[in-house]
Amino acid sequence: MVRLEHVHKYFNRDTQREVHALDDISLVIEDGEFTVITGTSGCGKTTLLNAIGALDSVDSGRITIGETEITQLDERERAALRLQDIGFVFQAYNLIPVLNVAENIGFIMRLQGYHHEAIEKRIREVAAILEIDHRLSAMPNELSGGQQQRVAVARAVAAKPGLVLADEPTANLDSKNSQRLMQMMKNLNEIEKTTILFASHDDYVVEMSRRQIILSDGHVEKM
Amino acid sequence: MFSLALKNLLFYKGRTLTTFLLSLCSTVLFVVYVAFMDGSHESMLKNSLSIYTGAIQVMQEGHHENPSYDTLLEDLPSVMQTLKNIEGIRAYTPRLESFALLSSEEDSVGAMVTGIVPESEALVSRLKEALVKGRYLDSEDSNGLYMGEELAKRLGVDLGDEIALVGSATDYSFAAERFQIIGLFRTGLFEFDASSAFVNKAYFDALMLSETMASSIVVTVDDLEKAETVAGEIAGQMPSRVEVLTWKKLMASMVQAMEVDSLFGYISMGLFFIVVFFVIMIFGFINISGRIRELGLLRALGVHSYEILKLLLLESAILAFASVLAGTLIGAYLAYFYEVNPIIIKGMAETYKAYGIISDEVPTRFDLFTIAWNAMVVLLLNFLAILYPVYYIRQFTPTEAMRHV
Repeated sequence: MVRLEHVHKYFNRDTQREVHALDDISLVIEDGEFTVITGTSGCGKTTLLNAIGALDSVDSGRITIGETEITQLDERERAALRLQDIGFVFQAYNLIPVLNVAENIGFIMRLQGYHHEAIEKRIREVAAILEIDHRLSAMPNELSGGQQQRVAVARAVAAKPGLVLADEPTANLDSKNSQRLMQMMKNLNEIEKTTILFASHDDYVVEMSRRQIILSDGHVEKM
Repeated sequence: MFSLALKNLLFYKGRTLTTFLLSLCSTVLFVVYVAFMDGSHESMLKNSLSIYTGAIQVMQEGHHENPSYDTLLEDLPSVMQTLKNIEGIRAYTPRLESFALLSSEEDSVGAMVTGIVPESEALVSRLKEALVKGRYLDSEDSNGLYMGEELAKRLGVDLGDEIALVGSATDYSFAAERFQIIGLFRTGLFEFDASSAFVNKAYFDALMLSETMASSIVVTVDDLEKAETVAGEIAGQMPSRVEVLTWKKLMASMVQAMEVDSLFGYISMGLFFIVVFFVIMIFGFINISGRIRELGLLRALGVHSYEILKLLLLESAILAFASVLAGTLIGAYLAYFYEVNPIIIKGMAETYKAYGIISDEVPTRFDLFTIAWNAMVVLLLNFLAILYPVYYIRQFTPTEAMRHV
């Protein structure tokens, strides 16, 4: 479970360019949810996702993932939390260019110290679900945008994190690939019970998700 | 991490190859440059020592600082007997040096006239090999004079001409004799060739009243590196007022000149390395700047910045070790090759004779210890050059890095 209590985040604080990016956000995301944070551009979706993912710090308030209050963690502990408990899917695919598909998918598990055979088995498993099992030895630059994003999703879920955060995962995809990706992610959510939290203003993502959190100017407009 | 570092290096081939070649060429250049520099110093030293000075000289205390008849070795047979039993000595010979006025029909010139034992002198110096006209001295010679070619020019004399010597004997009485020039030599050391003449010591002793005396005994050793040890051994067996000096003291000005030359050589190389350092650093910086997003991604995925630092240092280490190893092997091969097959520059000996160069060969010194030391310097430079780029990347948070263009 993810819990946010009175979270505030400012950019350029105490300057003329101050932006109150997150304004007293309080919400709860239960385990197994398939939820989207939506809103207009600049409303704070990505900032909120980065705060939940321990990528950015907040100025005040508490964010708790499971039993861990991440707002109290130092940089080393936040890195460890991201590695162990959170999967990330970014808008721009962000695969590691020097690793092939299989190595990208197994990257997190390798860092976590899984045994080689367990990694190989899991790579085949998620690659099959995401229909990229025929491209395991390809390099990222040999893949289409849709395939790259599916590899990114596979990497995010391979180590079975408690929470997957996907920031505008369909932004660079055409509608056909967007629908395909969302369907696959929904399948993963159902099969593996992974909590998936999107930040997106893509109508199809909003439509597919089971819960929508609408942000407006940094505060929750509707949950 | 090692595997990822290796893949990064192979993936960014252009940058890797450029940095590799830069580091490799620097290493080769450094190793070969130092081999040439050390080679020329060693050659200058050996030549200078072998021309006349020898590795060690045994003399009466104070004679080196203030040469005079009052500081001659007086019990020469006993000192010579002692030297016979010391290990590491290759040869030795006594000399009696006297400053005298040499006069020809045309001119008079002050010169250093030295009584030598022709056979043993030939074993410790190049005087015999330096013959250019006539013949070298032998033990039967009486008033034969073996003279520097330049000195002969100053006196306007040639082979077979007679010279009058006027000087003082060791008891400070008047000593005068006529000598006939039997040979002319040229060592390449201009000052030496213009002011030195040699006679058979047995004959000279009779003239100078110095039968059991010598200014010094010149010693050559089997291994120049062990000259200090042999000198210590000799000193331990000599009477108390006899001192034993090695080439470092005897050729102090040359040693100092070589040290200054080395210093300037290293300063030149230092400037070169500053350039290399900044080029490697700039390449490292460009390389890392181009990967800020990728490194930000790694941090976002949970790789701690310490691990990123390890990754970058590992990449740098692999590249540095590979390039320095290859550069060292190539440099060492070149140093060895040119030691065995020296480069020949026609006329070099003539140009640099004042510096003790007596050959047209460019000497090279192949020394594994020096090469290893050189390699370590380039390796260290490689590591230092990566520190700023690594520091630069650490300033970014994961999200800043991933947004970086």
